[in-house]
Order: sequence, then C-alpha cells, then structure tokens
Amino acid sequence: MATTETGGAETAFDWFGFLARWGTLISLVLLIAFFSLARPEVFPTLRNTLNILNQVSILGIIALGLTVCLVVGLFDLSIGAMATFGGYFAARFLAELGMDSAWVVLGAVLAVLILAMLIGMINGALVSYLGISAIVETLAMSFVVTGVILGVSGARTVYSSDIPESFQIIGQGAILGIPNPILIMIATALVLWVFLEHTQPGRNMYAIGGNREAARLSGINFQKFALIAMAISAACAALGGLVAAANLASGRPQGVGETYLLNAFVAVFIGASTLRPGKFHVFGTAVGVLLIGVINNGLSVMGVATYWQYIVQGLILILALISASMNSVRRA
Amino acid sequence: MTAETTELTRPEPAANATPVLEVRGLRKEFPGTLALDDVGLEVRKGEIHALLGENGAGKSTLIKCVCGAYAATSGEVRIEGRPVSFSTPREAVDAGIAVVHQHFNLVPTLNVAENLWLGEALPRRMGLVDWPRAHARAREILDYVGLDVPTDADVTALRADHLAMISIAKAVASDAKIIILDEPTTALLPHEVETLFAQMRRLAQEGHSFLYVSHRLAEVFEIADRATVLRDGRNAGTFERETMDRASVIEAIVGRRGELSGRKSGSHMRESVVIETAGLSGGGAEDVSLTLRHGEILGVAGLPGSGAEDVLSLLFGRIRRRAGTVRKGELELRLREPSEAIAAGIAYVPADRLAEAVFHAESIRSNITMPSLARYLRDPILRLVNRGAESRESRQVAQRMRVRMPGIEAAIDDLSGGNQQKVVLGRWLSTGAEVFLLNAPTAAVDVGAKAEIYELIEELAGEGAGILFASTELEEYPLICDRVLVFFRGRVAGELKGDAVTEQNIMTLAAGGELAHGDD
Ligand SMILES: Nc1ncnc2c1ncn2[C@@H]1O[C@H](COP(=O)(O)OP(=O)(O)OP(=O)(O)O)[C@@H](O)[C@H]1O
Ligand SMILES: [Mg+2]
Repeated sequence: MATTETGGAETAFDWFGFLARWGTLISLVLLIAFFSLARPEVFPTLRNTLNILNQVSILGIIALGLTVCLVVGLFDLSIGAMATFGGYFAARFLAELGMDSAWVVLGAVLAVLILAMLIGMINGALVSYLGISAIVETLAMSFVVTGVILGVSGARTVYSSDIPESFQIIGQGAILGIPNPILIMIATALVLWVFLEHTQPGRNMYAIGGNREAARLSGINFQKFALIAMAISAACAALGGLVAAANLASGRPQGVGETYLLNAFVAVFIGASTLRPGKFHVFGTAVGVLLIGVINNGLSVMGVATYWQYIVQGLILILALISASMNSVRRA
Repeated sequence: MTAETTELTRPEPAANATPVLEVRGLRKEFPGTLALDDVGLEVRKGEIHALLGENGAGKSTLIKCVCGAYAATSGEVRIEGRPVSFSTPREAVDAGIAVVHQHFNLVPTLNVAENLWLGEALPRRMGLVDWPRAHARAREILDYVGLDVPTDADVTALRADHLAMISIAKAVASDAKIIILDEPTTALLPHEVETLFAQMRRLAQEGHSFLYVSHRLAEVFEIADRATVLRDGRNAGTFERETMDRASVIEAIVGRRGELSGRKSGSHMRESVVIETAGLSGGGAEDVSLTLRHGEILGVAGLPGSGAEDVLSLLFGRIRRRAGTVRKGELELRLREPSEAIAAGIAYVPADRLAEAVFHAESIRSNITMPSLARYLRDPILRLVNRGAESRESRQVAQRMRVRMPGIEAAIDDLSGGNQQKVVLGRWLSTGAEVFLLNAPTAAVDVGAKAEIYELIEELAGEGAGILFASTELEEYPLICDRVLVFFRGRVAGELKGDAVTEQNIMTLAAGGELAHGDD
C-alpha cells in the first residue's frame, strides 16, 4: 500500500487496466513500426501488406469460427481435422465429378460446408445434451474425422490436374487486386461481427458464456446455441481448409489442419485480452491473427530463423495471458 | 433478543489504548470512480465495529485495501500502531487479519475440509498429508459454529447458508487479531445468525476485534459496539453504542432524515386469480395448492429444505415437477424450462446473484436487456438488435432502480454488490411480466434501496402483477406481504393473513409448531 502523504498527483493512472485493454494493440503497432523502420523498402509496402493478409487469411477464417465457440464457453479442438476435411472433400468431390463449371464448384463448396455444419452439430449435441466435456468430445471427433478422411482417400492426395480451374480461383484469384482469400476472411469477419454483436442469437451466446445458469433463467436455451456455435466453428474451419486447398490446388488428406489448430487458439486468446478483457470477440481475434501474421512476416523479411517466429509468438501470447489474468485478479 | 443481557457482561473496549486497526486518509481510485476519499477508521481491541453505508459507498473496497487485495491510491493503515502495507492477502493473514469477503470463494472442486485448509500448511506425518488429522481439525472448526455437514462433503452440493457458514467458520476459528466480515449474514438463517453472534461476542470478550459490514440494521444494533458510516466514499459519521439510534444512523447512511421502510400502505389485491396450482410437487415441495391473485403479494416462508423456495423454482420451470398442475387464467402451463415460464409472463429473481443472475464480463446494458432482447429487434429474420432503443431503455431501468454506475456500458462486475442486485431485479421490469417470483430480492441492498425495492414491488402489485415473495429476513414478510404461506417439511403448514403475519408466527410454523388460538 502506498503511503503518500502528499496531496498532489491525485490522478493515479491505472496501468494494469490500461495494458490489459491496449497491450496487444500497442504491441501490434510497435511491431509494425519496428519492422517498417528496419526494412523500410520491403515491409511497409502495399505488396507486403497484401502478402501478410494473404498469409493469415486461412488462419483468420478458422480462428474467427473458433471465436464463436469460445464465446459460449466451449473449446473446439476439432477445427484442425475439420480444415483438412473441408480441403480434401471439396477437391475430391470436384475431381470425381470432373466438370469445370462455376455452378458445380458452388454446389460442391456448399455441400462440404453443410456436411461440416452437421458434424459441428453432432459435436454440439453430444456436448450439450449428454454433458460431455467439449475438449474431450471434439478431440475424439477429430480422430474420427481424420480416420474417415484417411480411409476414403487411402492417404492419396488429389492433385491439381484433377481439380477444376474454377475451384482454384477461390484461392488464387483476386478482385481489384485483392486476393480472394483476404476477401473471404474479411467477409467472414464482418458476418460474424454483426452476428455476435448485433443480433439476438449472438448476444444470447455472450450471455451463455457470461453465466450459463443465469442465461437459462433468462430463457436462453444452451443446447440450441451450443449446436449453432459448434456448427459455425466447424463450417469456418472447413471453409479455411477449402480455401487452402484451392490456393495450393491440391486436396491433401493429412497435414493441413494441424498447423492452424494451435495458432487459431493463440489468436483467439490474444483477442480475448484486447480492448474487452476476458471476452472473446471478433475484433480481438482479428488483432490476434494480424499480430501472428506481422511477427512471422516481419521476422522472415528480416531474415531471422523460423524458430524465432515461434519464440516471439509464444512470448506475446504469454504477455497477453498475463495481462488478461491481471485483470481478473484485479476484479476478484 | 438477548442482546441487552449479554451486553452487560461485556467489558467496555478501552477508548484510550492504541487501536488494533487504524486507517487514515485512505484513497482508492478506479478508472472513472473515486471509491474512497480520505477515509478514516479506528477499531479498538475487543470491539465489534460495524462498517455501514449505502451500496457503492466503498465498504468492500475499504476492506480490500486493508487486507492487501487492492493497492490503495494513497493513505495509511496501522495495525496496533505500526504502519503496514500488505501487497498480498497472504501477508495480511500472517499479520493476524482474517477476512470473509462479500463474495466468499470456496473452491468447487475441493471438499469441505480441503477448503477449510486452503492456504494453510496441512498437518503432515512422515512427509505425507495427515488427512485424518486434517479432517479432525476441520470437524472442530465446523462444530465451533455448530455446522453439521460432513467434512468430506462436496461443496457444490451444499446449501448457500452452509457455504457462508464454512467461510465464516474458517475466519472465526483462525485466532486472528482482527476478523473482518463483509455482509456475512446475507445467506444465513436466523438461528445461524444467532450462533455467529454468540461466537463473535465470546471472541470479542477474549480480546479479538471485529469489523462487520451489514445492511441489516437490526443486527447491527444487536451486535455492534461502535459503527463507522461511509457515504460516497467519505466518512459520514462514527457512532458510539450510546449515540447509536436508528434515526441518526439512517440519516448518516442515506444523507437525509426520516424512517425509510414503513409498513406497506395497503393491499392492491384484486378478485381475479393469476396463478393457481393444485397438488404441485417437485424438489422438496409436496402437494402444494395455492392461488395467487392479481395485485397480491404472497409470501412463502420456511427453513431451507422446507420446500418454500422450491415452489418458486417449480413455477418457473427451473426444477422438474413430479405431480400437480399449474394454471394461469384459462391456460394450463407445462413449465418444462424457464423459457416456457417467461413466455407465459412469469419473471424470476434467483437468490444467488453471482451464480445465477449476473452475466459476467457483460455490460450493465446487456445485463438489463438480456431476457427482453426480443423487444428491440429490427426484423424477425436476421434478428438485428436496435442498439439505440436498447441503450435508452436500459438507461431508464437503471435510473428507475437508482443503480450507481460509471455508465451503462461499464462491466457489471465493477458494480458494488447491492447495485448488481438492482440490475438483476431491473432486468424483469421491461418484460411486461404478470407474475413475479422473487427470491430474496433485497439481499445485499442498503436500507434506502430496500425501501425502494419494497416500493417497487408494491408498484408492480398496484399495476396488477401477482407476486410470490421469499426471503431469509423474516422481518420483511410483515412489511410487504398480504398473506404468507409457511412451509414445514415440504408442505404448507399454515397460512397467515393481515396482522397475523408476524416474525414470531412465521418462526413457530416454520419450526413445525402450532399457533395458539386467538393469536389474531
Ligand atoms: N474493481 C472495480 N473496478 C471499478 N470500480 C469498482 C470496482 N470495485 C468497486 N468499484 C466501485 O467502487 C465503488 C465502491 O464499491 P464497493 O464495492 O466498495 O461498495 P460497497 O460499499 O461494498 O457496496 P455494497 O453494499 O453494495 O456491497 C462503487 O461505485 C463501485 O462501482
Ligand atoms: Mg460490498
């Protein structure tokens, strides 16, 4: 306890509160400034900016979906498997059909997303009606999904020669110079932002995350929203994987989603200590995703070894988590 | 009450000796709020010192600054004359301060004994924890406050009053110099309050000091030697036992003169029935048949486990019904889930604010409008919420409930306990409910706000709503109820009307006794 007897300096500044809110945004700005000063001719260019956004777009789409799940307080560890699922099956369907038409592609994409939603709803049903822990259930589901993909594919990749052009455009094309994956990420972010912040179902999800029993006593049905949240999470993961497959023009049956799983959690948790400490939200997740993108791109532009990217990313996550826990300690 | 006789045998705490706890010029700022401004406080050895004030006056903040949970912005705390500055609650414990916070936290995954030992070094034998000894000591602590629960019980399975008693037992048995209790009696039953007070008096006699926060003035007058009143984060008066009369204390607390909670002005009861149950059973309630009329304030009273509270839960679809029917007008209600009750125009305020009512990390606005969001929709398909209308109406509700807040967008967790309670009550005002099930609606609110909540309940009754009311404070029933049903072992043991609604009669029936004839 401070024992200042002086009457001056009355307005003590709440550093904890300030950093808990603004810490991640400040680190983002500082990192951008640092890399821009270090490599002014490479880093702060339009081309590199689009490059960064393009690099994080798939991660972004997956992390945004995960945000919805965490808002209702459910962990979804199946997003990695679901990303692989989306990429592989979209490619496989189209390879089997062998028709290069925009309508067929659209149909295949929708079919894959609907399948993913169904799987997400199974997750939601098992978790909410049977009361199984979401972590365990989604982990189990990711084994099942991985197994199904391996069984169906015989561990064989669908190659670009079999994948129609109009599908590849999803991952490789651009509108007005902006790559499609970026546009898809931005559209996902906008839709989910409006959904979570400005619609009744989204607001109800926050209520469930804030206090499940109080939500029930306000007439909000947890089972229904668990289903919706896990369906959204699974669909976004599948969409991310699908964009990745279109981008690489290959439908790989393994080794796709795993890379995104951890980073998606990192991004969402960084987001939960941004502006609104303790709350998962779309803007926060976007900041988390950008932070990861800037670190990876900046360090590689500077020619730093890859392992540094992991170290810096880990450190930033730890800082974010510390500031978040500071805040909850302060409140307790 | 036996307060007078016990008082006589108590030695007067020495006024001139060095105070055990002294606070001077304490200041605490939160972003946007000045919670404490130049606050002073003095607790003498062997004294029970009450800390009083409205919701948000700064009582809990003061306690947290003293015990090191918060760092004060400036100011000084002395223990037995020595300036101290705790940076963690642990250091305060070591210095002889035991605290039961307003929102006492037991760890749900630990059992009773493990919770009692939390933060202490467990007894060991040959390097391993000596569990038999740990349980034996836990048993002693519980017996100390007359609490009859197994030491290996799961804390999540215990009643609210038992949980409170466990936290209190731990502090009271800790042999601390200063024992700080922040609204310890909110969840307690009358006999548990008596046990607590008996222990407090005994300990005070042995030279321990208490700092005791409560909004129940009757208790304060019964137990406290002196009292310090805070208002808006400043000192608003200190009372010695002799000068402590109800009117002046209330004046210091609310800042104006006058008795606040008068008896209700008259009945608003109408002829028409709003809710009728027949043979309703579920939870601890057996075969309950009751009628609630429009404009009626019907109390349900009884010891925990008597089924009184379960009637509210049943009518809200919160717990499963085993038998019986519920009718609202012509309609038979199914009530399988709270959502069905809400759709039928029933509102429910649960007793446990933090566990059952508050949406944590959400704004005050959200906390007010959550059950009534459907009213602010722009369209039925996308279900977009009209934020402007929502903000406006939630502000009006907050104003009507006189919530003290930095702004409508502030997180509810940053409000004081009583103000949170006003928010969760207020959330039902705009739902247009016809039936209100209120379980301890004035828990943790200050004298002024209590009176306001009574007025509000009357207002709702005046508008024709039927109100079912339960409380742990028996003195509230005569104040506001037209009629009271007293439960004993799951069944209605008796009905009290008009002047027969007294604390004494309720207590008699709740304990399974008979009323003497010609009582009313
Ligand atoms: N963690 C916090 N962050 C911001 N403001 C806070 C915080 N804790 C308390 N406050 C504010 O400080 C003021 C004093 O709160 P405090 O909890 O001390 O009141 P109290 O006297 O204990 O009230 P009650 O009787 O309702 O428990 C209130 O205006 C409250 O909103
Ligand atoms: Mg308090």
